[in-house]
Amino acid sequence: MTPGAPARATAEAAPAPRAGGDPLIRLFHVSKSYSAGTFALRDVSVEVKKGELVFLTGPSGAGKTTLMKLLFAAERPSEGQILVLGRNVARIGERGIPRLRRRVGVVFQDFKLIPTRTAEENVAVALEVIGKSPREVRGKSFAMLKRVGLQHRRHHRPAALSGGEQQRVALARALVNDPAILLADEPTGNLDAALTLEIMDLIAAAAARGTTVLVASHDAALVKRYARRVLRLEGGQLVEDLSGSAIR
Amino acid sequence: MTPIVFQLYYFVRAAIAGLRGSRLTTVVSIATIAVAVIPLGGLWVVTGNMRALLDQFGNELQLTAFLDAKVRSDAGRSLAARAAAIPGVERVEFVSQEQALERFRARLGGSALLEALEANPLPASLAIALAPDHRTPEAVAAVSEALHALSGVEDVAGGESWIEGYGRALRLVRSAGIGLGVVLALATLLIITNTIRLAVYARRDELEILALVGASRTFLRVPFLIEGLLQGAVGGLLGVGLLFAIFHVAVPQLRDALELFLGWSDPAFLSPRNVGILVSGGAAFGLTGAAAAVAATRVS
Repeated sequence: MTPGAPARATAEAAPAPRAGGDPLIRLFHVSKSYSAGTFALRDVSVEVKKGELVFLTGPSGAGKTTLMKLLFAAERPSEGQILVLGRNVARIGERGIPRLRRRVGVVFQDFKLIPTRTAEENVAVALEVIGKSPREVRGKSFAMLKRVGLQHRRHHRPAALSGGEQQRVALARALVNDPAILLADEPTGNLDAALTLEIMDLIAAAAARGTTVLVASHDAALVKRYARRVLRLEGGQLVEDLSGSAIR
Repeated sequence: MTPIVFQLYYFVRAAIAGLRGSRLTTVVSIATIAVAVIPLGGLWVVTGNMRALLDQFGNELQLTAFLDAKVRSDAGRSLAARAAAIPGVERVEFVSQEQALERFRARLGGSALLEALEANPLPASLAIALAPDHRTPEAVAAVSEALHALSGVEDVAGGESWIEGYGRALRLVRSAGIGLGVVLALATLLIITNTIRLAVYARRDELEILALVGASRTFLRVPFLIEGLLQGAVGGLLGVGLLFAIFHVAVPQLRDALELFLGWSDPAFLSPRNVGILVSGGAAFGLTGAAAAVAATRVS
C-alpha cells in the first residue's frame, strides 16, 4: 500500500464476492503518477467478474481514463499490480500487449476510426491483425455491422457517417473478435440523447452475451438507467463501489 | 493457409494503399532513386566499356621474346616450354628463323631486296600471349622480366606503354564512380528515410488505432518496409530505363569522337545481370531507408 494513502479507499474497494465467476480484472493497490507528488490514481484496489457491466463514474480528472488506459496497457501503473485475464499488465512485455488487446475491445469518445477506410474495413482491421483469412474477415465484419444495424452503410467512410453511426462502427470493431472484456471510455460523450441510448443498448447487449463491460461515464442519467455496479472515482481514489439498489 | 500467409497479404495490401495514399511523397522517393541510379549506372556503362576495350587490346597484346642467334630450333622449343611455365603466360609459340623470314617475305610481297640476302638476318622468337587476368601493365612488366631471365632470350618487346595510361584512366573513372556512388547512396538513403518518416507521421493515427486493436509491431512496421522496397525497385527500374534512353540518344552523337580517339565506336549498354543488380540495389536502398525511418519513429 502507498504510504500515506487513506485507508478508506482500500477498505471500500475491498471486493465483495459477486455472482459471475472468476474476476477477469483485478487491481491491487494501483497508483499512477505522471509527475512526482501528483497522482492520477491512488491506491485503487478492485475486482470485476466475468459478465459484469460496471460503470466508472466521477468528475473530470478523477482518473477514469487513466484506469481504462491501465487496463489495455496504454499506460503502466507507478505502483501496484493489475491482472487482466490472468496477465499481469503492470509487468507485461512489449509482445504481450498486442495479445492482451486482441481480447480487450476498446471504444472511445472520439471513435478512433481510420478515415481512409470504409466502415467494413474499419471493423475488419481487428480481424486482420490476428491473421484471419480474408473470407472470414469479410463474413464476420458484415455480421458484426449487421448486429449494430449498419450493414447498409458498410461501404461508407467515416466522414460520410453520423456520429452515432461512427460509434456503432467503433463498437462493431471492438466486439468483432468476441473479446472477453469491453472497455468504453465516455462512449456517448459526443452523441445526443437518442443516439446515446442506441449505443448503450448495444453495449448492454454485449454484457448480456457474457462480455465483461467497463464503461467510463459522468452521465448520471445513463448510470442510473444501465448500471448494475458503479465504481466512483474522485481525485484518483476509489470512493464508492455500489451495486444493485444502492445505485438508485 | 496459415495466419502468416494472410498477414503477408494484408501487409502488401496496406503497403500499396499507403503508396497510393501518399502519392506525392511516393513520387519524390521514386524519382530520387531514379536520379541516383542514372549517374551511377552511367559510370558503370563507361567503366564497363573501357574494361571491354582494354580486354580487346589485351587480346591483341602479345610479347615477343627474341632469341639468341645461337639457339637452335630444339633448344628454342624447350625455351618455349619454360616460357609457358611463367605465371600469367597463356600460350607460347616458337617462331624459328625460317618462319620469321617467311612471314616477313609474305608481308613484303616477295621483295627483291630479300632475294639478295645470303643469310637469314632474322632471329628466332617466342610469341607470347598473356592470360586475361595478366593483361595489366604490372603483369606485363613481371612477365617481361621473367622472360629476360631465361638464358637464350636476348630481348623482349611489346606491351605498349599507352595501355598503362589507359589502365590508369580506367582506375580513375572507377574510383570516381565509387566516390560518387557513396555520396549518392548517402543522399538517397537520407531522402528515402525522410520520405518514409513522413509517411509514418502521416499515418500515425491509423497506426495508433491498429495498435489499439492488437496489431503487433511486425504488423505495424512491415507495410512500410514493403513500401520502401517497392519504391526502391520502381525507382531503380525507372532510372535504368531513363539511362537506356539517354544511352541511345547520346551514343550516335558521340560515335565519331569515340572512333577518332579510341578506334572503337560500338559501346554496349549494361548487361541484363547488371541491370538486375542496379534494380535490386534500388530496392535494397528503399528497404534500408524504410527500416531506418521505422526505427527512428519507433513504430509500435
